[in-house]
Amino acid sequence: MILFEATRLAVESIRANALRSFLTLLGIIIGIAAIVSTASVINGLNLYVAEKLSNLGKGVFVVSRWGIITSDEEWLRAARRNKRLKPDDARAIEQRSDLAEVVAYEVHARATLKRGDQEIQDVDVGGITAAILEIEPYDVEHGRLITPAEEEHAAAVVFVGHDIVEKLFPNVDPVGKTLRIRNRDFEVVGSAAKKGSFFGMSQDTFVKIPFALHRKMWGTRSSLNISVKAADPALMEEAMDQARAVLRSRHHLRPGEDDDFGIVSAEGINSVWRNMTRMIFSVAIFVVGISLVVGGIVIMNIMLVSVIERTREIGVRKAVGARQRDIVLQFLMESVILSLLGGAIGLVLAGAAAAALENLTPLPARFPVWAPPVAFGVCAAIGIFFGIHPARRAAHLNPIDALRAE
Amino acid sequence: MIQAALPSPDELIRLSGLWKSYPMGPVTVDALRGVDLVIRRNEYLAIMGPSGSGKSTLMNLIGCLDSPSRGSYHLNGQLVSALPEHELARIRNREIGFVFQTFNLLARATALRNVELPLVYAGLRHRERRDRAAEALRQVELGDRMAHKPNELSGGQRQRVSIARALVTRPSLLLADEPTGNLDSTTSEEIMTLFARLHQEGNTIVVVTHERDIAERARRIVTIRDGMIASDQPHPPTA
Repeated sequence: MILFEATRLAVESIRANALRSFLTLLGIIIGIAAIVSTASVINGLNLYVAEKLSNLGKGVFVVSRWGIITSDEEWLRAARRNKRLKPDDARAIEQRSDLAEVVAYEVHARATLKRGDQEIQDVDVGGITAAILEIEPYDVEHGRLITPAEEEHAAAVVFVGHDIVEKLFPNVDPVGKTLRIRNRDFEVVGSAAKKGSFFGMSQDTFVKIPFALHRKMWGTRSSLNISVKAADPALMEEAMDQARAVLRSRHHLRPGEDDDFGIVSAEGINSVWRNMTRMIFSVAIFVVGISLVVGGIVIMNIMLVSVIERTREIGVRKAVGARQRDIVLQFLMESVILSLLGGAIGLVLAGAAAAALENLTPLPARFPVWAPPVAFGVCAAIGIFFGIHPARRAAHLNPIDALRAE
Repeated sequence: MIQAALPSPDELIRLSGLWKSYPMGPVTVDALRGVDLVIRRNEYLAIMGPSGSGKSTLMNLIGCLDSPSRGSYHLNGQLVSALPEHELARIRNREIGFVFQTFNLLARATALRNVELPLVYAGLRHRERRDRAAEALRQVELGDRMAHKPNELSGGQRQRVSIARALVTRPSLLLADEPTGNLDSTTSEEIMTLFARLHQEGNTIVVVTHERDIAERARRIVTIRDGMIASDQPHPPTA
């Protein structure tokens, strides 16, 4: 019997028992919907993180006291061992690493900003060297960035993020206006374009002031983040090794001792991130896999019921010349199409869920392009795996008994 | 009986020493005990016998729904008693048209689709299937009921659909099992008239029944008792 005929029979049979078919498919529908939604969120996050990290630029890495901390133990260890990074560390890298083209650093504090009777609390105040602007791209909306001269003279100038403009300078050009940070007046020289939010946290609530002034206001204890741009992006690994060697010798670390600082690159963050999401995803696959197996067993069950209900039909088909493989094909096709239908409904639900998450929550979600082919492949496999037993049972029915069945 | 062993061109079926035994717990039940029977082309034969006589077993063997325990069965000169299941399926498809007491139509399919069914398994293309199924339905005077489903047809019409399904592959043998068992006497008469006509048109027909007046419509009556042929008599046509 040709495949087309088997497909047609399967569709007819599924339509004849529409409600039952749908209920049978709930397991598959939920399983596929859950896993593809999860995949959409992870995919969205991955794209998002990759996009944000690309801000860091090619061939750029950051040396910091902490590096990437992924557990409490690591944090405790780092807090105990790791030294604060100082401007001298940065200068040493600049002088002794020939692969480091630009070295800049930044230090952070939190403060309340005031303008007249308006204020914003808990704003990230970054003290930067002008060179950082060669490394981290800032989209300037109004005015300009801080100049090297201003940095050198610790001038009271500030470059502000988009949120600051929105809240303190609504509908005004902020350039030339005054802003108060820790009882000191700053002249706004420029503002950044909107960056958007990351996991629901605004990325636009920041101000940048000259590094030297930051040190005067907050003291010299806090550790620097040192940004390094390699002369050649292809040689970034080597540049990282040089920076590491410089700091290890400055910190008097013996060979074999762990670094007492962290080095992070976009690639590094990305790979940590991907490892993490891969783990989340494999846990999700395991959990959802159970629901798919249950879904498959339900399909097998309903197919066994269907074989019993249609014993007589099978007898008639055999009497008029159906071979065993015709019967197998008919029932297998039915379980496969049933399963594929569940997959299709699941995909539609997942697509809707991804759109809803993207638009209604801070979670980024993007429906992955590989989802439909993979989901249909998995569903076809489920249909075959759980359909073969009922189909063979049907095919092996004795036609005489089958014709006599009630 | 030596001459009878030679196949003659008009010989359709030859059963020789046919046994069928079923294990029933510890004992073996012999449903057929050495049946010899020759059926020629264009015969109209009735197999009679009380229930338990073995006539259903014999019908299943002739219809290739089952294989004998011992003995041989030739159909069209081919030894079918030794064939594997998929070959038997092919024989059922090409050589035999079944007509059942309970019609055995597919409830969800139209008359046309029901009649098409054997042609699906014969591997015919859609258009040819439809044309031949329509032709078979016209042959049983149901040309105007093709799109009806079985539950929209009367008992007699349903049986005629099932006869059309049996005829559609132009089989060597029409095998009917109590074809009027579920019909009232008027409709039975209508169906038996149809069988007579099909016989006149050249079909070979075997009717299995326990009703004498149905058997008497045939031209030859074979009576089965205790798994053996008790009598085999020609039956001249009645006016």
